[in-house]
Amino acid sequence: MNSSTNYIVHELLCLIVSRGLGSKVIKCAKQNGITGGTIFLGKGTIRNPILEFLDLAEARKEIVLMVAEQTIAYAGLEALNKKFNFNKPNHGIAFSTSVLNIFGAKNLTSNDTKESRGVENPMYNIIFVIVDRGNAESVVEAAKKAGSRGATIVNARGSGIHETSKLFAMEIEPEKEIVLIISENHLTESISSSIRDELQIDEPGNGIIFIQDVNKTYGLY
Amino acid sequence: MNIFTEKLKEVIFSILPITIIVLILSVTLTPLEAPLIIRFLIGAFLIILGLSFFLIGVDIGVTPLGSVMGSTLAKTNKLWIVIAAGFILGFFISIAEPGLIVLANQVGLVTSGQISSISILIVVSIGMAIMLALGFARIVFNVPLYKVLTILYGLTFILALFASSEFLAISFDASGATTGVLAVPFILALAIGVSKLKKDSKASEKDSFGLVAITSVGAIMSVIIMSILSKTNEFSGNIESNTPELTTIMGPFIQIIPAILRESFFALSPLLIILLVLQKISFKLSKKAFAKMLKGFVYTFVGLLIFLVGVNAGFMDVGSVIGYSLASLDNKFYLIIMGFILGIVTILAEPAVYILTNQIEDVTSGYVKRKAVLIALSIGVGLAVALSMLRIIVPGIQLWYYLLPGYLISIVMTYFVPKLFVGIAFDAGGVATGPMTATFILAFTQGAAEAIEGASILIDGFGMIATVALTPIITLQILGFIFNLKSKKGGILKNE
Repeated sequence: MNSSTNYIVHELLCLIVSRGLGSKVIKCAKQNGITGGTIFLGKGTIRNPILEFLDLAEARKEIVLMVAEQTIAYAGLEALNKKFNFNKPNHGIAFSTSVLNIFGAKNLTSNDTKESRGVENPMYNIIFVIVDRGNAESVVEAAKKAGSRGATIVNARGSGIHETSKLFAMEIEPEKEIVLIISENHLTESISSSIRDELQIDEPGNGIIFIQDVNKTYGLY
Repeated sequence: MNIFTEKLKEVIFSILPITIIVLILSVTLTPLEAPLIIRFLIGAFLIILGLSFFLIGVDIGVTPLGSVMGSTLAKTNKLWIVIAAGFILGFFISIAEPGLIVLANQVGLVTSGQISSISILIVVSIGMAIMLALGFARIVFNVPLYKVLTILYGLTFILALFASSEFLAISFDASGATTGVLAVPFILALAIGVSKLKKDSKASEKDSFGLVAITSVGAIMSVIIMSILSKTNEFSGNIESNTPELTTIMGPFIQIIPAILRESFFALSPLLIILLVLQKISFKLSKKAFAKMLKGFVYTFVGLLIFLVGVNAGFMDVGSVIGYSLASLDNKFYLIIMGFILGIVTILAEPAVYILTNQIEDVTSGYVKRKAVLIALSIGVGLAVALSMLRIIVPGIQLWYYLLPGYLISIVMTYFVPKLFVGIAFDAGGVATGPMTATFILAFTQGAAEAIEGASILIDGFGMIATVALTPIITLQILGFIFNLKSKKGGILKNE
């Protein structure tokens, strides 16, 4: 933790592309200095009355999450856009949002959680925890111990700097689980520390945590 | 890219290899007559069309039905319901399976009616029913798959000691015949549905596969038991191979439609009845979801019809002619090499392979990529066809020379490979023996057997499917081994 005055800003890149392109996105991102990413599967819809009648208006998608330092992230996004042509219709979408804090990525040093630079101070944060398949339950346990109310687990795959093997010219991306926790501001710190201790996130290769601001929530009580 | 164009593209790429190989053969080693080639090309076109429809139908009809069914069962939380449902489902899916009906008729024929085809149908269906129930129980009780498979195959081999070698071939083929083009996706989805509800994510992933494998052992065992009980050890009848009649180009396509219509309808009927009955009793799906499933069934039916017409009328004769001409060449080496290549390209066109690779990608979130599974599967099937050709050329090789060591290796491997791949590998064995293998490769094998002195169409024809069901188990477990090595964490490349 270096508490220098000029703090580093991180961005979360989120890309939604056709099934099968996720690995290529990460490969291209890695060539542009982004250290790793996590992919999970989704379904998208197509607006077309004929296809909707035939029940064919569904496309299989992959969602890619990557965290990087802001300048690298923007440059990476630019490069990805050049390669995948997101500006053309039906080529997928990409967006980035700012990240408050990050742990577990050695090369992405973070500052202590700072008060957000926004005008209003949001009441809630969202904590993303990405760990190897099978460890999500312990993440949820650790979060509960620190006062979290609940969590959502998503199955995913991903490769960081530790996973770089290939098979038949295909990247091997081991299985991961993403745990999403929405926490009240004053609990965020203790929840994330509890997870960090429990899963030794600060040791290399054990997963990463990043935290974002949430501006509005419904359904939490 | 909507779902249809996406599927169409996938399917075209999977049918192209076999089409190209056959066309190359027709101008080099095995000259084919023009009407046959035209029929083959029409067949390829129909297969592309049919397979696209079929796969979409399975995606929005059959697979969701299996998943809903599986999770509904698991939610009841009553063991006897799960077991009873497994038994009933297994029986009805199997009794309507077209592949099994064909096999039963063949057995009736070669034993000159000592074992009637109807008794084979019923006994095999009961065997499958018991095993499906057992497979459910395994998932519920958390018994590891490799232990169950060890016990089942152990029993099978003890039984096999008492059966004649001809019947061994038939019984191992039965496992391929019963895991048909509709049973496989449904059983896969059932397993995933039941295991999805497990809290432990690793266990649920491991248990998503392996149900097809357990069910097919049921078929093997029941045929062996039948042959022992009925004391039939002699084959008396014989099968005449169908010599292609070169009448008109479209004739065969038109002729075959009524039979295929019946077949497709029968294959789909148990699933349709399950959907309608359970919708009334327990599913209570929304109108929209229910309508979508029904549409899925329509796509499945139409697709299956077009696909089967294409395979049977367009591919079958070409297969046997190529087999015959290759085996007639002086250099028998060509036959083995071509068998290997044809095995590789045929499996890509097998419908259930698509469904399996898709399910694997979904369950593992894309960690086990489709391409990796396809490569391992293709190599496996290529080897199987090459080995079958070798058996035809060299009369001394018995089928059990392949099966015994093969299954021993497979079972021993289950103790060492990542457990996820055990289920995938054994399921793939059932998946590899679909309609494409059972028509095109079978015709090719029988054509080759006809051309070679001392090879019997009957004995060598049976047993090829058994070999195809075996080899992918080994190649996919090797793949699992490699995956395990490659998924280990490396260090950070550069320390800052």
